[in-house]
Amino acid sequence: MPGTRVIAGLLPVLCLLAVTSLSTLAVDEAGITLGSVSGPGWSVEDIALHTGWPQAGQVSMLLTAARADLPEPLGRITGLKLTCPALQFDSETLRCPAGTLEAQSSQLGRQRIATSFHYRFSDGRLDARLQDIRYLGGRLALAARYTAGGWTLDVDGRSLSLQQVTAQAGRLGYPLPLLEGDGELALTASLRGAGSEITAADVQTRVQGAGISNAAGSIAGEDVDLGIDVQARPYTSGWHVQVTVRAERGGYYVEPVYLAIPERPVQATARLDWLAQRKVLVLHELDYRHPGCIQLAARGRIGLAGATQVTELEVDVQEAALGPLYTSYLQPWLTGTPAGRLTASGVLSGRLVVRDNAPVTAQLKLQDVVLDEQDGLFGFTGLAGNLDWSDTQTPEYSELSWQDGHVYRIALGPVQIEAESVGNTVKLVRPTGIPVLDGTLQIDSFDLAHVAGKPLRWHVDGLLTPVSMKQLTAALDWPEFGGKLSGVIPSVRYEDGKLEVGGVLLVRVFDGVVTLRNLQLESPLGLVPRLQVDARIDKVDLEQLTRTFSFGRIEGRLDGRIDGLRMESWRPVAFDAEFATPEDDRSRHRISQKAVDNISNIGGGGVGGAVSRSFLRFLEDFPYDRLGIRCRLENGVCDMGGVEPAQQGYYLVKGRFIPPRLDVVGYAKRVNWNSLVAQIISVTGKQDIVVE
Amino acid sequence: MRTLRIPMSLFLLLFATACVTINVYFPAEAAEKAADRIILDVYGATPPQTPQKIPAEPQQQPAEPQPQSLRDRPGLPARTLALALDWLVAPAHAEADLSINTPAIRQLTASMEARHRTLGPYYASGAVGMTRDGQIDVRDQKLVPLAERNTVRNLVAEENRDRSALYAEMARANDHPEWEGEIRATFARRWVDNARAGWWYMDGSGAWKQK
Repeated sequence: MPGTRVIAGLLPVLCLLAVTSLSTLAVDEAGITLGSVSGPGWSVEDIALHTGWPQAGQVSMLLTAARADLPEPLGRITGLKLTCPALQFDSETLRCPAGTLEAQSSQLGRQRIATSFHYRFSDGRLDARLQDIRYLGGRLALAARYTAGGWTLDVDGRSLSLQQVTAQAGRLGYPLPLLEGDGELALTASLRGAGSEITAADVQTRVQGAGISNAAGSIAGEDVDLGIDVQARPYTSGWHVQVTVRAERGGYYVEPVYLAIPERPVQATARLDWLAQRKVLVLHELDYRHPGCIQLAARGRIGLAGATQVTELEVDVQEAALGPLYTSYLQPWLTGTPAGRLTASGVLSGRLVVRDNAPVTAQLKLQDVVLDEQDGLFGFTGLAGNLDWSDTQTPEYSELSWQDGHVYRIALGPVQIEAESVGNTVKLVRPTGIPVLDGTLQIDSFDLAHVAGKPLRWHVDGLLTPVSMKQLTAALDWPEFGGKLSGVIPSVRYEDGKLEVGGVLLVRVFDGVVTLRNLQLESPLGLVPRLQVDARIDKVDLEQLTRTFSFGRIEGRLDGRIDGLRMESWRPVAFDAEFATPEDDRSRHRISQKAVDNISNIGGGGVGGAVSRSFLRFLEDFPYDRLGIRCRLENGVCDMGGVEPAQQGYYLVKGRFIPPRLDVVGYAKRVNWNSLVAQIISVTGKQDIVVE
Repeated sequence: MRTLRIPMSLFLLLFATACVTINVYFPAEAAEKAADRIILDVYGATPPQTPQKIPAEPQQQPAEPQPQSLRDRPGLPARTLALALDWLVAPAHAEADLSINTPAIRQLTASMEARHRTLGPYYASGAVGMTRDGQIDVRDQKLVPLAERNTVRNLVAEENRDRSALYAEMARANDHPEWEGEIRATFARRWVDNARAGWWYMDGSGAWKQK
């Protein structure tokens, strides 16, 4: 406090002058030029002191200095003038109860400050008060006391402009964001020290404002009411610090997290040591409370020299409400992942330990959790469990269960999973069954591996016990049909966003068998899922099939294959498909008039209604030898074919030799797929209205 | 003879390379048309009478010749000519149009169209603007109420993910994955050209401008 020392040093001179003046009553005024004083980093030039006796028994004083160069941030002061119109003194004290300090400061501009001081000769104690200092858009009041043993300084700031405060802090090299807006800061600080050392600092600040923001808008507040209290005590290698930050109300945005303060304030309290030399923060205790959302405690050691080094950090989430926790703190980080659009609720607690910037153990406990993907991709209710993980080679045991769930619209029943993790690999402790509609996906083994920097991959071996197609088709909003889906799934592999099903899925449907092989699903939860599969159809009963799709009755069996079926967003974009009556089929082959008409329409034969227009309309159905259709879809166009070539076209239905013989011949070789689908829909749809 | 053969083969070679050039050439005009159709869908404007991309093939009249069935015409000289034409014209014909009628493109367009209903006001307020690379960005998040800032960030991230997927998908659907950059550049222009007055975009130097 060089300023204090200067005043203290000048006081004896002042007293001497006053006393001298009094004793020689003949003098009305006296002046003395004191020249310049300086010390390391500061200097005051052209100091002069004047005293006067405006009335009997009253002494006035004027102390001037042309210029003072003070250490940063105090800057340069010119035209310094301390006036004390009524100086009081006796043998013990010297008092100036109502003085004025005027000066032009490079930092504070022109100032006129109400000043008072009180000096005690016996022990050199000086008390000084400076009122109404215009500073950073507001007013400051200082009260200082200087004794031989030390000093105290109380600062009281009112309505300081937050914008100016942060700008000033920036100029002084403090890493504070530069804030704009109408924010105001009130400050009460109490500093104690000895010589140039501060021995204690207690600072209470309160920031209020309707709208505060940095230039980029990445840090902002609305209806801000923020209290920051700091208590700091120095020790040999740094500072013991106690900090409380309390947001009373308002909304705060620190990209990407937005907090709307609930009815009760959000508060963080920390006790820490700041090792100034090594720039290390030792966090003894951090307590964070966001009412209705989360309460956590943390401790650790963080190096701030250069890149942030989290030497050690332990975080304990005592209890968190997943709903608000997800929206406020988790979702902003999950944007763009399948977990980025959830509605969540439930209770969560956990613990995380980080060493040397990497997590070493994590525990998570879930209770009554409900998750729902907003687009309906998946959802779970009654999710609960204990998930334990560590980066060591010691196995950690986890369990997870849910009451019910769904993937797309396929319902999953209650599940209990027990798993073991070693490092970043997870496997099942015992086989698990996941009820899928009325069947079960029996999972014999499951392995998951996550290598840092690489996409997640997992592998499942299992078995699907029969699921009724009736339920599956209903869930997928398809036309309902009977049958069962089942399969041995020796291997389901997920790697690089792609799901590959090894083995064979078996669909028993329409009294026949459909087998699916080489099933691959790319970005299953993405916007455009891509599916690839090869299918074989074995002896399905056409009568059941045509009845289900209201196509017009056909009797007989049908074989077929769909090779290289590729679907995007569950719509086919390419395949090579062929369906035909099996060569060795001995069943009864009949086709109804309506079915003939429909096939004619779809096959592009252009003979729609031809049957009903001819004499054949008197027959309800016809025998046939073979029927079939072939379509190779590519680039939106279907390359058509039938059961065998005909003149200029192909047979879709080949009649028997015995009359009445009926052939349906297709001519269109290339058909637009979308039109074809529209036609099939109109044919099958139309039939729904016809009362048979 | 020999001297004659060399220029002849050179000529053939030139001919062949010329054809290859046609194949690789990016169909800028078609790409613009395709981009406009998607963009107007997304912006929710009524498209100015756009003809269907893939002409509905006449399936009811199987006898009618298809564009590819030139070679089926009778007469040997005509047939040879047709084959030659087919060989030359077919690739050029393929360039004249850019397919946007795949499920993935439809899905991406629909997703962007749905999002645009929420995103539209942010274009109008100037909070969000169009970048040079066919994406969007938060131009001034101070124009967005605090509580909505994350929503806007999400919308922008999701929109950009869809746009990138769309450009890649269009290139892929037209069997030219290498066109992705050009498709993106085409879109970058057309997003701005089709934008409403008052919306913001990034000019060539990267500075924001208001349309």
